[in-house]
Amino acid sequence: MLVVRAIQADDLDALYVMATQVGSGMTTLKPDMKMMGDRLAIAVASFAETIAPEKRDYMFVMEDTDTGRLAGVCAIKGAVGLNEPFYNYRIGTLVHSSREIDVFTRMETLYLSNDLTGSTELCSLFLHPDYRSANNGKLLSKSRFLFIAQFPHLFTEKLIAEMRGYQEENGRSPFYEGLGRHFFKMDFDHVDALTAVGKKSFIAELMPRQPLYVAYLPDDAQEVIGKVHTSTAPARRLLEQEGLYFEGYVDIFDAGPVLQARVSELRAMRDSVLAQVGNAAAPDAACATLPDPEPLLVSNTTLHDFRMILSQTAPVNGAVALSAAEQDALRCADGDAVRTLSLNSRKNPHV
Amino acid sequence: MYVVRPVELADIDALEALAAVPMPGVHTLPKTREKILAMIEGSIASFAAQVDIASEESYLLVLENLADGAIAGTAAIFAAAGSNGTYFSFRNDVIQQVSRDLNISHSVHALTLCSELTGYSQLSSFYVGEREQGTAEAALLSRARLMFAVLAPHRFSDRFFVPLAGVTDTDGGSPFWDALGRKFFQMDFLDAERVIGGARNRTLIVELMPHYPVYVPLLPGDAQAAMGQIHPSGELAFNLLTAEGFEADDYIDIFDGGPILQAHKNSLRTFTGALQRRATVAPELRDRGREPPVRYAISSGAEHNFRAVIADCAALEAQVTVALPAEVLDTLNIADGDTVICVRI
Repeated sequence: MLVVRAIQADDLDALYVMATQVGSGMTTLKPDMKMMGDRLAIAVASFAETIAPEKRDYMFVMEDTDTGRLAGVCAIKGAVGLNEPFYNYRIGTLVHSSREIDVFTRMETLYLSNDLTGSTELCSLFLHPDYRSANNGKLLSKSRFLFIAQFPHLFTEKLIAEMRGYQEENGRSPFYEGLGRHFFKMDFDHVDALTAVGKKSFIAELMPRQPLYVAYLPDDAQEVIGKVHTSTAPARRLLEQEGLYFEGYVDIFDAGPVLQARVSELRAMRDSVLAQVGNAAAPDAACATLPDPEPLLVSNTTLHDFRMILSQTAPVNGAVALSAAEQDALRCADGDAVRTLSLNSRKNPHV
Repeated sequence: MYVVRPVELADIDALEALAAVPMPGVHTLPKTREKILAMIEGSIASFAAQVDIASEESYLLVLENLADGAIAGTAAIFAAAGSNGTYFSFRNDVIQQVSRDLNISHSVHALTLCSELTGYSQLSSFYVGEREQGTAEAALLSRARLMFAVLAPHRFSDRFFVPLAGVTDTDGGSPFWDALGRKFFQMDFLDAERVIGGARNRTLIVELMPHYPVYVPLLPGDAQAAMGQIHPSGELAFNLLTAEGFEADDYIDIFDGGPILQAHKNSLRTFTGALQRRATVAPELRDRGREPPVRYAISSGAEHNFRAVIADCAALEAQVTVALPAEVLDTLNIADGDTVICVRI
């Protein structure tokens, strides 16, 4: 069984092994023992609530309980941009118009901004290729929404997720070649590596401070603004199903979109419910025609040992039946509260 | 002999003929008789004006071949550019990009829309016929404007600039325009120049042109290459002006990227090298056997009586008078003993 759980201090080695399998472009998970150790320490302190909420970094790992192997990782940062500036381009519009000669020109612009400072960030999603099947990706990505729904007071009102931007098959980023290269005079991989070691804001010091007209960029750079990397497209769809949307902020290097949402408007906040572990009993007559249960995300409600699984059960009258193995995976027992959310958003919630 | 003098109403036919020479993208003279007439009348009024502060005056000079009375060229000077508005240009800026933490520092070239040239005196409409290209007379015509400014400094600013036409292709297209102005104006270069009448002081420039710096590395290669490059027709003027002391690197035109030469008068040879001398009639043959003569541009008159000619005479540095043939005095419209200024050519 796959369990998504709060990371533990002794996960470091397994995490390192997994990080060696991430390609260029994933900026937050680099195989660097020192960096990972530091980050893990913060994550452990976050779940233990020994550091302030805005400094927290909740990391989750997906564990295969049959083998004890780590299958994936994801994280929620309490707040971004409070230690060093968090930069994005905001896509804006400037209208140049002259009544005198009847010219009206609408120009898209890129403004360097720190607008998203202080937002809670979903980040560091990685699923090992061996596990990229069935609902595993959804389980890993959406586990974070259940966590937020269970502990909304730990997060700021605004939630964001930076998506990896478009790259050609050979790794070339048209946006970087059209813009950043002129100002940094270094390769994208190099910039990417600096970003990974927390030097993104230093690099941003080299960016033009003034708004840029998109029309100055080469066509291939213009076309990829707000476009995700091909391999990131499924991840984007998952987040959009949960209530995140693109609102015109993009990465300063590869122009990948920043998705954002208000925490209170997430599907998980609206639709997840608490239920009691127990014998859900046979459905009564009124529900005799209950269809096959849909996959259901189920989590415990313990912050320091948060755990979540995917189950084929369905909550009935505030109770949910879980097998012994499932209860074991969630470290809960009969009578404990669990939080549940259907894995997929219902197409017709009112039916 | 040639003389440079203020334009007169009688010159209109000659100017109309000059203006008919087709040169796409190059604005020397207005194209219609009506506008040429307005320009001549404006010039006559300007020469006649009592000026306290330089403003809308525009002075048009012509180069006349005294042998046949033909007009061989024109040159104009506006007292204060952008009057009735603002004179817009792109300033060449170098922006330093520094990251101390990464130990990286490099400079980025950017163009910034600016109005700094507003109020400068502007030289323009320089044109000489093919026969006079490259001659001392062409140099005289170009320089005569500054000599007039030496004689009548109250009519002008202390700073001068000259926009020169930029590079255009045979169809009148401009690579610089295509990369920049076209995106905002949504029209061809020549159409835009027609709409705006070659002016650089119109409100619509502020409305349409970019307010933020244009980062040069983002422009296509051909547009970058066109920046500060002159149209072949402007080569003569460019050479004369840089020899005069004008500098080319600070500003470029917002439409075609052509260079805008500019200078403070103290760095211009006409101002620093002008010698004020009393003119005397040269006795015939008196100079024979002495030092070789030097070629001077000589002028006098701070109003419509302004004249400029070329004359050879002995070096003037150590003298208080300049001895000139009687016909030169006649051409300058002065009498024995009147004051002139002389600049070596």
